Amino acid sequence: MMNIQFNGLKETIPQGLNINKLIIFFGEGDPHVIVEQNGRYIYPKDYDTCMVMENDRIEFINPNLGG
Amino acid sequence: MPPKTRERYTRQIKLPQIGLSGQEKLAGKRVLIAGIGGLGSLSSMYLAAAGVGHLIIADHDQVELSNLNRQILHSEANLGDPKVTSASQRLGQLNSTIQITPVQVRIDHGSIDGLLEGVDLIVDGCDNYPTRRIINRAALRHNLPWIFGGVRGFDGMISSFVPGSSVCFECIIQNPDPLEPEAIKPGTSPPNNGILGATAGMIASIQAMEALKLLLTIGSPLTNRLIRISGLTMRITTTTLTPNLECKGCAPSSKDKDI
Repeated sequence: MMNIQFNGLKETIPQGLNINKLIIFFGEGDPHVIVEQNGRYIYPKDYDTCMVMENDRIEFINPNLGG
Repeated sequence: MPPKTRERYTRQIKLPQIGLSGQEKLAGKRVLIAGIGGLGSLSSMYLAAAGVGHLIIADHDQVELSNLNRQILHSEANLGDPKVTSASQRLGQLNSTIQITPVQVRIDHGSIDGLLEGVDLIVDGCDNYPTRRIINRAALRHNLPWIFGGVRGFDGMISSFVPGSSVCFECIIQNPDPLEPEAIKPGTSPPNNGILGATAGMIASIQAMEALKLLLTIGSPLTNRLIRISGLTMRITTTTLTPNLECKGCAPSSKDKDI
C-alpha cells in the first residue's frame, strides 16, 4: 500500500495503479471527470500508461459548466 | 480625456499598470458578453464600470423569477423582459459614457460570426457545453481570446484561452457535462442545477479581471492554467494545462475545424 493526497485528503491505495485503475478504485462515476496529477492535467489517452506514485497529489475534477 | 471621465476612473488610473494610456486603451475596446445570466451579469458590470468602450451583450432568454438569486443585473421589474434589454438598461445606468449593444439572439453557428465583428475579446456567460464549443471554434477562427467560466452549486472553474499561445477549451473538456448531454442544442438551457449567486459572482469577478488584463496586456494571463474554486471548503486549486495534440478544436491535425 502507499499514500497519496487525493482531492486534498490523505488516502492509502494499493501500489501499481494507473489512472484508469485509480478511477475504478475510488468509484468515480462521472465519465467526463478530469484528472490532475501533481498539478498537471492528464489526458484520457494517457490514463493507462500514467502510473500513480507514492505521495502523488491527485485531483478528480468534475467539470462545472453552468453559468 | 475630459475631467469628468478622468474623475470617474481616477482610482484605476492611479494604478501604474493602467494609467491614462491604459484607460484610453480600454475606451477603444469592444467585448462580447456571450450570455447575460449569472456569470455575464457580474462580469459585464465590472467591464462597464471599468470603462470598456463597447459591450455587446448577447442572450436569447427572458428574465424569470428564479434567475434573480444570481443574475443581479435584472430585477423584479424586468420579469418577462428580454435579458439583454434589462441588462443594457442597468449597464447604461452604471456607465452612460460607454456604448452598449444588446442583441437578443441564440448564440449558434449562424449568429456567432456576426456577433464577433470588431470584437477584441469574448467573455463567457454561457450555461452549457455546446455553446462554449461554438465560441471556442469561433475564437480560433477569428484569433480572439476568450475567458471561460463555469459554475455549479458552490463550485466554479475558470481559464483564459488565447489562440496561438494556449491550449483551447476543447483540449481540456472534450465531452459535455453528463448533466448537459450533446442533445442539448446550442443556446437552449440545460437542466436546472442548484447554484448560489455568490458562486457565479466569484467566478465572474475573476473573468472580468482576466478580460481587463488581456485587453490592457498587463500581468500574467490565466492561460494554460485552470483554476477551480470550491466555495464550500474555500479550497482553490490550479491545474497546469499542456497542449492536447489530438484536440479536435485546435490541433493542426484537426479534421473538423469548421464544425
